[in-house]
Amino acid sequence: MIRGTVIGQVWATRKARGLDGQTLLLVAARDAEGQPTGRLVVASDTLDARVGEDVTVAFGSGARNVLRPGPDNRDLLCDAAIAAIVEGAG
Amino acid sequence: MFLGRVAGTVWSTVKWPQAQGLKLLLVRPYRVGDLPPGAAAGASGTTPSEPTDDLVVCADTLDAGPGDDVIVAFGHAARVAVSEKLAPGDKPSVPIDAAVVAVVDRVEIPR
Repeated sequence: MIRGTVIGQVWATRKARGLDGQTLLLVAARDAEGQPTGRLVVASDTLDARVGEDVTVAFGSGARNVLRPGPDNRDLLCDAAIAAIVEGAG
Repeated sequence: MFLGRVAGTVWSTVKWPQAQGLKLLLVRPYRVGDLPPGAAAGASGTTPSEPTDDLVVCADTLDAGPGDDVIVAFGHAARVAVSEKLAPGDKPSVPIDAAVVAVVDRVEIPR
C-alpha cells in the first residue's frame, strides 16, 4: 500500500464496463517523510474520501478486497482502491 | 491505475497468439506537477502541461488515440478489462499487464 493525499477526481464516460459505478480519485503519493513523491495514482473510492484528506491506497488483490472482500472477486476491475482515511502518522 | 496521455502506438507481428488483434498504445503518466490546481484535463478543460514520466505500453479496447487522456490499469484488472471484448474461454490467458480502462472526460483538481 501507499500513503497519499487526495487531490482531485476523474470522470470518464467511455470506459470498460467493469469501471461502471466506481468513483475514481486522484491521489498524490507521499514518501516516508510525508513529502509528495510526484507519483499520481487513480484509486477507486468507497469511503467518501475528500480532497485534501490523507489516505492509504491498496493495490492488486488487496484493492479488490476493499471493493468486495472474499475469494470470489477476481471478476472486479480494480487495481487500486482507497483502503483507509488516515488520521495520523508518526 | 494511473492517469496518462496517449503518446503513440506500437505495432508487432511476432507475438503470443492470445495477443493477436490487441491494439497497443504508448501512454505517458502524469505526475503531480503536470496537473496544477485548478487545471482540467480532457476535451472540456484547459490543456495541462505535457506529462513527464516514462512511457507504458498498454492494450487498448476503447479506441483511444494520440492526445487522449486515459486511465490505465495494471495486472489482473487490465486482463479483466481486455477480457470484456474477448470470448469467455480467452479470459485468463491474455498476456498483458496494462490496459486502457477509460478515456477521460474531465479531471477536477480544486485549488
